[in-house]
Amino acid sequence: MNSTYGIVAVALVAVATLGIGAFGLRMSRTTSDFYVASRSVSPVWNSSAIGGEYLSAASFLGVAGLVLTHGADMLWYPIGWTTGYLLLLVFVAAPLRRSGAYTIPDFAQVRLQSMGVRTVASALVVAVGWLYLMPQFQGAGLTLRTVTGAPNWVGTVVVAVIVVVNVVSGGMRSITFVQAFQYWLKLTALLIPVFFLLHAWRGDGRPSPVAPEEWFQPFSQADGPGLYLTYSVMIATFLGTMGLPHVVVRFYTNPDGHAARRTTLIVLALLGTFYLLPTIYGVLGRIYARDLLDSGRADTVVLELPSRVIGGSTGELLAALLTAGAFAAFLSTSSGLTMSVAGVVGQGLARGRISTITALRVAAAGCVVVPLLLALSAERIAVASSVTFAFALAASTFCPLLVLGIWWRGLTARGAISGLIGGGLSAGVAAIITIGARPDGWFGVLMSQPAAWSVPIGFALMVGVSLATRSDVPANVSRTMVRLHTPERLDVDRRF
Amino acid sequence: MTEEYTGRVRITSPLTTAPAHVRRSVRQEINESTGIGEVYMRSLIRAQLRAALTVAATLALSIGALPLLFLAFDSFTEMHVFGVPVPWLILGVLVYPGLFALGWVYIRQVERAERDFTELVEPHGPDQS
Repeated sequence: MNSTYGIVAVALVAVATLGIGAFGLRMSRTTSDFYVASRSVSPVWNSSAIGGEYLSAASFLGVAGLVLTHGADMLWYPIGWTTGYLLLLVFVAAPLRRSGAYTIPDFAQVRLQSMGVRTVASALVVAVGWLYLMPQFQGAGLTLRTVTGAPNWVGTVVVAVIVVVNVVSGGMRSITFVQAFQYWLKLTALLIPVFFLLHAWRGDGRPSPVAPEEWFQPFSQADGPGLYLTYSVMIATFLGTMGLPHVVVRFYTNPDGHAARRTTLIVLALLGTFYLLPTIYGVLGRIYARDLLDSGRADTVVLELPSRVIGGSTGELLAALLTAGAFAAFLSTSSGLTMSVAGVVGQGLARGRISTITALRVAAAGCVVVPLLLALSAERIAVASSVTFAFALAASTFCPLLVLGIWWRGLTARGAISGLIGGGLSAGVAAIITIGARPDGWFGVLMSQPAAWSVPIGFALMVGVSLATRSDVPANVSRTMVRLHTPERLDVDRRF
Repeated sequence: MTEEYTGRVRITSPLTTAPAHVRRSVRQEINESTGIGEVYMRSLIRAQLRAALTVAATLALSIGALPLLFLAFDSFTEMHVFGVPVPWLILGVLVYPGLFALGWVYIRQVERAERDFTELVEPHGPDQS
């Protein structure tokens, strides 16, 4: 691949990102601007921003790579990532916005009147954020190596630096503009080459994918772990989305609960449109780029196809466009995650003498260092599957906290803490065992996709311990429920 | 020396110290968390939860049942439409408009529930008290 086009594409995306960020900075003045863009972002802007932030390297590169490798069974990942938004809409969106809190730890504290829950939730936000950031940074290294031949660490460090500069300079307001721009960039970058690729494919006489039978069929063997894995992926992605820190923080930037719902509905449309595309790349990869399977670089199939199928300068330009899209994917997701993790850590720091905005800036720089070191030292695993652990962890902890906190008056602080710790340990230990030891057999299967058992543990602990400590139910729970569930235009008493 | 009879006189208390009878608004009931206020709030929350659970159940019975469906009916997975295997068509394309439609129906439902609730609390628009 001609590296000049690729480098130009990456540089353009970086400059545009920083430029739009600086434009946002001129408008960020207050703490509220910094943390939640002063809660005044319209549904269309906000949903583009959510789409831009949510469609990470796992979506842009990972899904096509998984389809290339494993076939039909992998279509569950994008389905799960979209369905997760629908469940977020119906169980969480409007009440979370109406709660008036900035972050999940804020919500926990407001709902349960306990600093203990706040501390545990903050620690978990950081854990989920790191698990999600690490593969983004690694993917950036892989992309830049594919395009320019630079060593892996270059792309990783470049993305980390741009993210920190962006967050430190503009906060949430500038991030919103950057993310919205990046959704449309990603969609365009994936859409335009598809027309060229399909045209070339028809010119070749429409060859069929070359693959074994089980690649074409979901569940060709009924007795293996396939069914467990599929349902576990479903549970993790369906329920994990609502607990991802960078997803949840976006809901506080809506003006009210009504707008939060509108936003989520538009997001469903944006995600559904986007996810039609990676499958096409995966299938075409089976026809034109099967050698990537053997060299273990399936994640790069999206970037490789144009130069292989079309070639010439058209192919190079399309490849550069895809590189730009991939780079936008790393930048937007990493920025959003860093922003939300830094928001939580910064609030903790700001209790001391430093100002809130300084605290946010210090926290942003600090939060990037750990996943950066992890990305540089850890062995690479497929982007989409390592993201799954972040989803499983969020689904086992924040999903029960949010769903029970919003819909069940009986939740107590001790119940919430038990569930957060129990669910978090289950999913966390499974991730460590899988990444560290890679066990075989059914134990390995259970550890590699823990959600099917760790989510019930989280829910059961929260409900069970809450029932056992029934006398601890916060005295003002009725008032909190009024606040969470009544439309804003009603003039009722929402004080705590 | 009898006093002049002037007819029967009814003596009533003016009840100056008793509270005047005022119609209490639903908003007051909610603000003071009275029994009635709680009943209103619970009915709103229940309506919204019912809408959410309907969506969740629909998902479980549609997308959630697909793996079992594919497993149970081999012939189904081998069908082709326009040269594309049916499972790929369902999982790769048709699921997404379905999810959007479900979200759209849900929003219509809960927004109606919230409008009804607002109507109940403030029957004549938002500015009286």
